[in-house]
Amino acid sequence: MSSTYPNRINCILRTLLLLMLIGFLFTCIVVCRAATPTVPDVAGALKRSDSYRNGWPSYVLNVKITSFESGKPGEVKLYEVSQKGTEKTYVEFMSPREKGQHLLMLGDDMWVYLPDTSRPIRITPLERLSGDASNGDVARTNYAADYTPSYVRTEKVGAEECYVLDLAAKRKGATYQRILYWLRVQDDRPVKAEFYLTSGKLIKSATFDEFLTVAGHPQLRRLTLHDEIRHNSSSVLEYSGIAPRELPDKLFYQGRTDRF
Amino acid sequence: MNPRLLIPAILLAAAMQLAAQETPAPSASTQATANQDNAAQDAPPPESRRDLRYSLAVIDDATLYSNLQAPLPNVHNQFLIEPTLTLRYKPRWSFSTSLIGVADRYTGAFTQLRVKEAYAGLSAGDFDFMLGRRMVRWGTGYAFTAAGVLDPPRMPTNPTDRLNLNEGRDMVKADYVHGPQALTVAWSSAALTPAAAGLHDTTAFRYNVLVHGFDTALIAGHDRGGDSFGALAFTRVLGEAFEIHGEAAWREQAAILLGGKFTTPSGITFIGEFFTPPNIPYFQNPALCPLDGRQHYLFVSAYKNRLRELPHWKQWDLAASAVANLNDRSYTAVFDATRRFGNHFSSYLHIEVPSGSSKSQYGATPYSAATSIGLRFQL
Repeated sequence: MSSTYPNRINCILRTLLLLMLIGFLFTCIVVCRAATPTVPDVAGALKRSDSYRNGWPSYVLNVKITSFESGKPGEVKLYEVSQKGTEKTYVEFMSPREKGQHLLMLGDDMWVYLPDTSRPIRITPLERLSGDASNGDVARTNYAADYTPSYVRTEKVGAEECYVLDLAAKRKGATYQRILYWLRVQDDRPVKAEFYLTSGKLIKSATFDEFLTVAGHPQLRRLTLHDEIRHNSSSVLEYSGIAPRELPDKLFYQGRTDRF
Repeated sequence: MNPRLLIPAILLAAAMQLAAQETPAPSASTQATANQDNAAQDAPPPESRRDLRYSLAVIDDATLYSNLQAPLPNVHNQFLIEPTLTLRYKPRWSFSTSLIGVADRYTGAFTQLRVKEAYAGLSAGDFDFMLGRRMVRWGTGYAFTAAGVLDPPRMPTNPTDRLNLNEGRDMVKADYVHGPQALTVAWSSAALTPAAAGLHDTTAFRYNVLVHGFDTALIAGHDRGGDSFGALAFTRVLGEAFEIHGEAAWREQAAILLGGKFTTPSGITFIGEFFTPPNIPYFQNPALCPLDGRQHYLFVSAYKNRLRELPHWKQWDLAASAVANLNDRSYTAVFDATRRFGNHFSSYLHIEVPSGSSKSQYGATPYSAATSIGLRFQL
């Protein structure tokens, strides 16, 4: 009898020790998981986020850009954008002062047609950055084709958990050299972005304000660009008339000289 | 299995299962937001069979000539109305016209209606056909052109045709466009052009291709009663800020154009061009003597649109340029300023100042300065 009592105590103590060890391991797993963020598939997330602005392989849409200065609305610009794949973009300028102009992007090559010159003029990437909302903000919206993403962190923006991606330009046709991009964790929907030049200077920031569903595809409806150089300036981009279309390759010919 | 190990094994398995869980369940607020997004639905608009596009420009221009050395008025007034209309039916048929109504008061008062463009087009697969009057520019230069065999006259002091007074040529044209390549055949008639224009019936071929960033065109043709010609033109962008362009043409003798463009990070653009035409009837300038031989020209320009970095200058565009004849060392300096008002109006100032000896090309200009101010309305 005296020999079984210590054995029983030992058994109970061993079991207790084992339970404490399991409990400790369990706690470590939970704590470490909370401390270490899950690294998302950044390339896949970026591609999915592009689908909110490029819902189909070939489509058209209208863009209205309203500039604001100290909160007061100013100039309004209108564009018709035709996009085919990730490399071909044709933008027709529809504002009264710019009617007849168009912009063509074929990969890294760009032309602008001015009715005064009656011919397409080759332009450089730097020439494309004009105005509060640049032509690149309108025409170049496929970030997966132009940027290499890397994961930075996960953080909350308002009530929304977001991945923060650092996008580095991988081609000279990219509008900005670097973008910090916030994507909603649950569905990779863009939430906000910061745009940087080659010098590292923050030039603009954007908030993706409103979305709507078109033919089953959630699409961006409204985007606000904030000028980080002149802080009282901003532009609101409103997208409408989004529709899939079969677009002929002739529309994207670099020598096209039709005024409209 | 030892029963004493069963409980810890179950606990360990539960811990591993918990660690393997992925994304958290959406919170109530994000679920509500998602529902709100999905509630906003829009059907894609149907494709329209007919498409009408139009624009209207109204320009009131006044030019003051300083030290005018000819018995002419100092002030030249022009009022121009320029409607443009394009009608497309499905993607196949199109009709386009661009008219210029001019009310001119200089030596007398007259009004005139000019047809800048009026043509009908048919698109069939990769082919496009066109009949009528059309502006065609095959040259790649800004102030000059050697390869622009169907181009309207290019004035180096007014390369963008500020008042849109250039007219197209009457022609039949066929294009075959396949990807980045295009083959164009054009026959242009000079029957309706004034004899003083010096134009001939022209047959021309053009092959245009984009390869490795070079936008290149090969041109060949013949002027009835004149010369046969051949030409090459190209443009290329280098890096983020540089563009180069050039033309080489052969018509009795060679004409060469080389140019480049550079844009700074602050948005200022510089253009430079060198042009050397032979002094043959096709390239001859009325201000030059036919015995003057080959000429050499230089064009330089600097401009910035939308001076957004300066407070209250966002609606301004500024440009300065100069064109020089290197043979006789004469030149004309040009300054342009444009100010936009709202979405429809703009005003401009255009100043030309020629300089050089009285026998030189630009020095022979019969005024010391021409200052134009104008108001433009666009719809």
